[in-house]
Amino acid sequence: MATIGHNNLNAKLVLLGDMGAGKSSLVLRFVKGQFLEFQESTIGAAFFSQTLAVNDATVKFEIWDTAGQERYHSLAPMYYRGAAAAIIVYDITSADSFTRAKKWVQELQKQGNPNMVMALAGNKADLEEKRKVTAEEARAYADENGLFFMETSAKTAANVNDVFHEIAKRLPRAQPTQNPAGMVLVDRPAEGARAASCCS
Amino acid sequence: MHETDIHDLSDDADYAAASKQGSSSMTRTDSSKQRSSNDPKDAEIVYLKDNVTIHPTQYAAERISGRLKLVKQGSSLFMTWIPYKGQSSNTRLSARDKNLYTIRALPFSDIQSIRRHTPTIGWQYVIVVSSGLAFPPLYFYSGGVREFLATIKQHVLIVRSSEDANLFLVNNFQDPLQRTLSSLELPGSLANRTPSSLGSPSDGNLENNHILEDGQLRSVQQNNKQRQKSHDPARDISIQVLEKFSLVTRFARETTSQLFRESLVDGHGPTEKRRTNWASKDHQSQEMVSNDVEIVPKRVHVPSDPLEFDKLSLVWGQPRQHPLGLQEWSSFLDSEGRIVDPDALKKRIFYGGVEHNLRKEVWTFLLGYYSYDSTYAEREYVVSVKRSEYETIKTQWQSISPEQAKRFTKFRERKGLIDKDVVRTDRSLSFYEGDDNANVRHMHDILLTYSFYNFDLGYCQGMSDLLSPILFILKDESEAFWCFVSLLERLGPNFNRDQSGMHSQLFALSKLVELLDSPLHNYFKQNDCLNYFFCFRWILIQFKREFENEKTLRLWEVLWTHYPSEHLHLYICIAILKRHRSKIMGEQMDFDTLLKFINELSGQIDLDPVLREAEALCVYAGENGAASIPPGTPPSLPIQDSSMYHQQDDEVL
Repeated sequence: MATIGHNNLNAKLVLLGDMGAGKSSLVLRFVKGQFLEFQESTIGAAFFSQTLAVNDATVKFEIWDTAGQERYHSLAPMYYRGAAAAIIVYDITSADSFTRAKKWVQELQKQGNPNMVMALAGNKADLEEKRKVTAEEARAYADENGLFFMETSAKTAANVNDVFHEIAKRLPRAQPTQNPAGMVLVDRPAEGARAASCCS
Repeated sequence: MHETDIHDLSDDADYAAASKQGSSSMTRTDSSKQRSSNDPKDAEIVYLKDNVTIHPTQYAAERISGRLKLVKQGSSLFMTWIPYKGQSSNTRLSARDKNLYTIRALPFSDIQSIRRHTPTIGWQYVIVVSSGLAFPPLYFYSGGVREFLATIKQHVLIVRSSEDANLFLVNNFQDPLQRTLSSLELPGSLANRTPSSLGSPSDGNLENNHILEDGQLRSVQQNNKQRQKSHDPARDISIQVLEKFSLVTRFARETTSQLFRESLVDGHGPTEKRRTNWASKDHQSQEMVSNDVEIVPKRVHVPSDPLEFDKLSLVWGQPRQHPLGLQEWSSFLDSEGRIVDPDALKKRIFYGGVEHNLRKEVWTFLLGYYSYDSTYAEREYVVSVKRSEYETIKTQWQSISPEQAKRFTKFRERKGLIDKDVVRTDRSLSFYEGDDNANVRHMHDILLTYSFYNFDLGYCQGMSDLLSPILFILKDESEAFWCFVSLLERLGPNFNRDQSGMHSQLFALSKLVELLDSPLHNYFKQNDCLNYFFCFRWILIQFKREFENEKTLRLWEVLWTHYPSEHLHLYICIAILKRHRSKIMGEQMDFDTLLKFINELSGQIDLDPVLREAEALCVYAGENGAASIPPGTPPSLPIQDSSMYHQQDDEVL
């Protein structure tokens, strides 16, 4: 059954990050192609699904979009538990949001699925004039921590689909080769560097 | 800084993922077993038979005789069997034992079948099966079985089974109104077996083992899939039968009977098969009351809504009225402006809401900013005092200089949160739209002032949703602030960092669903949905995101009357869930799908019918419902009363 041509994957993906960083906007851009200037805050959590074709496989993302405020932190494990992938979102115009993103990375490294594919997304890349976090700093952090990094703009759609595509490519396949998890991790920084290059 | 003090609800400290217990704490406990059980009022006795006796044991001395009655109330028929007092001489049967067997107001909508037995020696008796459970055989010492069945036939649809001349299948589809209701979303024509959530605690097991369900095609297909997975050949025939049944969802019972007969041609009907299944499961024997009792065939077994038919016998949520208008409002006020009868006012508002141009005035009472017994003059005074008090608190943050702010992280953080949220709250309303909108600034200032007024709670996402409609109505910054303060006296715990306020409401919700719709409860239990987090948004911000603005205003003023319960919002949750129960269960939604489904109901909920259903559910649940809600569950006021709000009566009617 598991022919290479019919590799269909379901992958749970969670978006984490500071409030107002643009988590919901990224998802809505990806899932519905929409962008709202004043996207309302997420209360509790929202769930979306979207299927991507990657090479000869399809990946159906089951996406959990979470509330960003620290106050709701205690609910987050419910959503990232068992996730195959996470996008940690920060706002390039907010140093605090980058700090918060690092905390999420730490938490996932401690609590999350050890094989989780993690992406760091510096959102609002269209607001170059207000930038507070440089791409270099973020990329360096991502490389150190085995994440791949992209700067995105939900508003202009820049790199939004790319983040999800890249995650889809990196997901362990349904019938995985016997690679131990550690080996996958070792591979990631290199791939991450390559992926990041698609981001200007 | 690591603060563990319970009062510290600030946002800057890292907070360890806390509530792992949260969901697990919401495990099921035994549901209340009692149906509130008085004889229905305004009831007409249509059948009465004395010396109807049960034989709890083989000993003649332990037989209990009583009076059997059929009682008609409205369109519904109930059966009661009450043992005689002090009639039995033996000592082994306590009054309690007798009480155990008492049948109080069993609605026929709960009854699935009645089997008549005519032994060659002895009395005729019947076995009534309700919600999958057989009551003890009722022996008619003075005869009257035929009359009993004939009377039933006059009032409810009862069909003699084609497979067994002594088996009478009961249905309740006589009333054309019921038919109409059933065609909306009910499980279909087989829903005669409405299990009673308030009945025996073992209902649940039956449901679990036999979610064969009826009516909804989808549900049947789903079950079909599962069945096949289980490779239980004994069930396959049931499946075929189910599939046939599924086609008759909206047809009357006769059609069903015919199909049933067709599927039985080969003599391997579901009765046989199911009997086998049942025997293999560990079903103790409520249905095997004694040796001579057969298991009454319980054909397709749908977790139909236990209240679907009962509700017609309730005051089914009074019709919504027109909103309270100016003239009528004046009639509630005495010459000095006091509200003479606040309860009557609240009741009136509950049933109709308030005309839009009156809201500004009326809301201030509902929220507790004005007390009901205040005069015009007193209120004028309150407004001016409160205005200056507001300005004082506002000055606290306005006077923070940029230099001071640099050294005041919490302030900067809070302001940042509020800045981010106010610009994305209800911006599509003309009241808040456009750049540099003054009302958005007012919202910002009120929220920041509140975060100083209640520094422990601070600002939390969702608060702007609660404030927005209040500011929209009050239009005045100070008054909106104080009304918001009043609202958060009740809803503040929704934002507790430990989520305790939300947990207690979600917990109460799960208890209420267990009480009011045990099949749905069991479904959630089996699918790990008992934490009810899919209702989180509904409760946190009082359905603000579920309705368009005007409906939200209506809903809120209705909720704030706290009539007929402070916790009507939980019954609203249930009313909405019940409207979609067949879809939820039929499509076998898991937690993710359910959350998505619930979120997408936004804008699709019809408020008025939901309010009526919520009212009916609340009335139906009665004291059992109230007892399912832990004391102090928001929006109940916290135990230590703040002097400002004590005038608000928290009636639970």
